[in-house]
Amino acid sequence: MTIEKNLNGTELTVAIVGRLDTATAPDMEEVLKESFEGITKLILDFEGLEYLSSAGLRVILQAQKIMNKQGEMIIKNVNKTINEIFEVTGFVDILTIE
Amino acid sequence: MKKQRKQCKQRKLQHAVIRSFVILGIVLVIVISFVVADQYIRKAMGNYRDTAFAYTSSMAEMIDGDKIAYYLETGEKDEYYDEILSYLNAFRYHTEIQYFYVFVPDTEEIVYIWDADIRKEGETDINICELGDREAYWGESDKETIYKIYYDQEPYEELTLSNDEKYGSMASAYSAVLDSNGVPVAVVGVDMYMTNLQAGMRQFLNIVPLVIIVIILVAILLFYFFVKKRIVTPINTLSNISKSMVQNLEKDEAIEVSIHTGDEIEELFDSFKQMYSDIKDYISELSSVTAEKERIGAELDVAKHIQASMLPCIFPAFPERKEFDVYATMEPAKEVGGDFYDFFMVDETHLAIVMADVSGKGVPAALFMVIGKTLIKDHTTPDIDLGNVFTKVNHLLCESNSEELFITAFEGVLDLVTGEFVYVNAGHEMPFICKAGGEFEPQKIRAGFVLAGMEGMKYKAGAMQMEPGDKIFQYTDGVTEATNTNNELYGMERLGIILNKVKEKSPQEILPAVKQNIDAFVGEADQFDDITMLCLEYKEKMKISEEDAQ
Repeated sequence: MTIEKNLNGTELTVAIVGRLDTATAPDMEEVLKESFEGITKLILDFEGLEYLSSAGLRVILQAQKIMNKQGEMIIKNVNKTINEIFEVTGFVDILTIE
Repeated sequence: MKKQRKQCKQRKLQHAVIRSFVILGIVLVIVISFVVADQYIRKAMGNYRDTAFAYTSSMAEMIDGDKIAYYLETGEKDEYYDEILSYLNAFRYHTEIQYFYVFVPDTEEIVYIWDADIRKEGETDINICELGDREAYWGESDKETIYKIYYDQEPYEELTLSNDEKYGSMASAYSAVLDSNGVPVAVVGVDMYMTNLQAGMRQFLNIVPLVIIVIILVAILLFYFFVKKRIVTPINTLSNISKSMVQNLEKDEAIEVSIHTGDEIEELFDSFKQMYSDIKDYISELSSVTAEKERIGAELDVAKHIQASMLPCIFPAFPERKEFDVYATMEPAKEVGGDFYDFFMVDETHLAIVMADVSGKGVPAALFMVIGKTLIKDHTTPDIDLGNVFTKVNHLLCESNSEELFITAFEGVLDLVTGEFVYVNAGHEMPFICKAGGEFEPQKIRAGFVLAGMEGMKYKAGAMQMEPGDKIFQYTDGVTEATNTNNELYGMERLGIILNKVKEKSPQEILPAVKQNIDAFVGEADQFDDITMLCLEYKEKMKISEEDAQ
């Protein structure tokens, strides 16, 4: 998995390529943890995301909770498989998916 | 035998030291002998030359050169002739001179004028020539030398060495006799045997190497003891300590031996001691860490058993019930897992089944699972709507969720009398449902948000009708996301295929068949997630007596 960060003022775009599972979720968590300060808009670009496990969902949920307090979080370029996971787990109800 | 070899090994360094000293000694003896012998010969030859030329040049000075022509022509001796002869004799008698003579060189031979004729004690075999005797040149080198000083009038003061059978090893010196006009008219010659030189050499070669050998032997011994005391013994001590160290590493003993050589070896010894204590510390630390690890492992094992015993695992679970058959299995990926299933009677006519998966793994997930399982079972009561059960459970879980874990959960309650199946889904996988005579198909049901994810979530229950012969298969993502070595997921499709192959069988046979199919797919790859499955078969409607109905 590779994580690419792009900061534009207080708007942070994080693009994830590869698998977000038990093995890689802690890296993602680390990256997000050190970038949250001062961010008002977090965009997660899932165009290259191949697989999402429950550990990955947990990181997304954590990010959503933090961004609820300090701004907004948008998920974009969600493919069909990942979208299904969001639907099945009910995440569609709490996430902003574009 | 073994002990002997060990000793040999210990002495190896000493042997090497001795060997190199012996070789050094031999080389020194040879080199010193040659150098000293060479110097000795040079010096001795120098002495011979100085002495010989002192005799010849002083005799040449003394002789009146103008008289020579007279003696040569007449062959008559006079008073002067006898006087010179007596000088020659005196020299010959008192020195090591062998022959002392005066002659006039000719082209191919010489003509004797004087020749010392006195014999030393014990001498018999000497040639004495008379005035006017002629003799051929003794050798080419003599001839050349004599020509040089006589005809060319060159000053020449080098010994002429000859080695012939008759005269033996001999050194000769020649000086020219001049007449009153300074022209060479005769030559004074002296021959000396080099017997003294040879004897001296022999003596020298007998004594000097012996002396050198003795000196070198003493030096070697001294040096050997020095090396032994300062190097070999400390190194042997060091080696013995290192051996005993390996044997005593686990005992709590400090090194009591010490080395005080005040040089690099002491430094080495100190470093070694430091290393020894470092290793000891490291080992004790390692063993305590290992012990700790073992303890944690043992505790995890206990936890695994506790967790396993929390899930209903006695089958058939309800042997007295003919209306349904239920079977479930869980196989954790790590020691303790985050998956759980449950089934229990809510009341006489209602059976509840639960399937859930805590995000994450290990101890945190297992602890959270315990809370989740307990809360769900406690809140499932006959008079409360299932949606409300999850709403409450979610609320309670959110309160005690510092690690931000969440649970995907599915709960269904089957009314055994009517066949109504009420369910609630908190982000869990779709169940497979097999209608009697039909096929297993994934049932799309509305998904609520995961439990413990967000406070204040509301959950709504759904319902469907089940008939006798219908089956429900519920599972966790460990099934569909089992991965093989090519990184392919097992998936819903493969699950559907295997389920339909065994759809006619009982729940107790269906689950092992699915597990076997998953194992065959995964092959050598590791199991990443807990694999948990539950199958419920509704066999017949429950009949209630009129008493019960009232």
